Amino acid sequence: MIAVEPRGPDAPPPTAPRPPESGVVISRGTRVHLRTLVPRDLDLLAAWVDDPFLERMVGSEFLNSYKHVWDKSPAFYEAVLTDPTQVVLVVEANQRWDRPVGVVRLFNIHLLEGYAFLETIIADPRAMKRGFGIEAGKLVSYYGVDVLGLRRIEAKVYEYNVLSMNSLRRNGFRQEGVLRQAGFDGERYWDLVIFGILRDEIEAQRQKDKVHLPLEPSEGNGREPA
Amino acid sequence: MSAGAVVEHDARTDEAYEGFTCVRLLAGPLTAATAPALRAEVRAAIELGRTALLLDLDAVTGVDAVGVAALLEARRLLEAHTGGTLVLRANPIVCRALKETGTLAAFALWTGPGM
Repeated sequence: MIAVEPRGPDAPPPTAPRPPESGVVISRGTRVHLRTLVPRDLDLLAAWVDDPFLERMVGSEFLNSYKHVWDKSPAFYEAVLTDPTQVVLVVEANQRWDRPVGVVRLFNIHLLEGYAFLETIIADPRAMKRGFGIEAGKLVSYYGVDVLGLRRIEAKVYEYNVLSMNSLRRNGFRQEGVLRQAGFDGERYWDLVIFGILRDEIEAQRQKDKVHLPLEPSEGNGREPA
Repeated sequence: MSAGAVVEHDARTDEAYEGFTCVRLLAGPLTAATAPALRAEVRAAIELGRTALLLDLDAVTGVDAVGVAALLEARRLLEAHTGGTLVLRANPIVCRALKETGTLAAFALWTGPGM
C-alpha cells in the first residue's frame, strides 16, 4: 500500500503532478508519435485555422470551433482536455521536425456502443505525402481499440481529397457509402465519402503492420464507383 | 504517495468505507495523460485481492473520454471477480462527464460517509 500523508478533513486534497509541458507521449510509431495536447499547441492551431487549404481539404469542426466558437480563446484548451466525447492528440514527427506536424482526434466517442469518428489533420505542407498521416491514423486506431474499447471507427472525406481517402484505405478502412452533396466549400456542393473500419479489421492491420514508403503507389484512385 | 502518482490509497480503508478499499485520485484531471496510472492502480488492487473498490473522484477537475474509459474498464475488471464491486465517489464534474457519455447508469455511486 502506498503511504499517505496525514491530513485533516478540511485540508485541500493534494494535487496530482502536472503533466510535462511537452505533453505525454501516448503512442509511438516508426515515423511519428502522438502526444497529449498542451496549452502552447494553441499557437499552432491558431495558424492552422486560417489556412484555406486545410479548410478546404479537411473542413474540420475542431478547428472551426476553435476559431469561430471559442474565438481562439485559451479556454479552448481546458474545454478540449475535459471533453468526455473526444480525444485530441498532437502528431509529432520522430526525426528532423522541430514542431508538431498535425493533430489526430477521435470524436463523438460512444464508449458504451463502442464507436467513434476519426479526423486526421496533417497541417504542415512539408509533412504531407511522407506517410505521417497514415501512421498517425493507424496509431490512434490502435489506441481507440486498446484504450477506449472501440469496435468501429468512422471517417468522412470530401470527394476531392484523394490523399486522405488513400490514407484511410492503406489503414484498412473501407468505403461504406457516399453522402451526396453534403459538403459545401463556399462555391459548390461536394459529396462526402464515408469510410469505416471494425475492430477485427484493425487487428488484421496490426498483424500485417508494415511501413508504407512515401513513393509506394496509392492503393486506389479516390472514390470508388457507386 | 509514489512519485508521479495521480492516485493514493486511504490508509483507513476498510472500516471507514464499509469494507471497501478506497483509492483516491489526487486533485487534477482524469485524462489521457493521467488515466494509465488509475488503470495500473486498479489492476494492482485486484492482484492484492481487493476487489471491492471505492474510487474517490471528489478532487477530479475534469474527465475526458480516456478517463471515462478507464472507469468502465475498472468496473469490468472488478466485476469479473466473484463479489467484485466498483463504487464511485463522484463530484458534479465527474457526474456531468458520465451523463454526457451515457455511462452514469453503469456505475454505482457512493452515498456513504463523506458524502
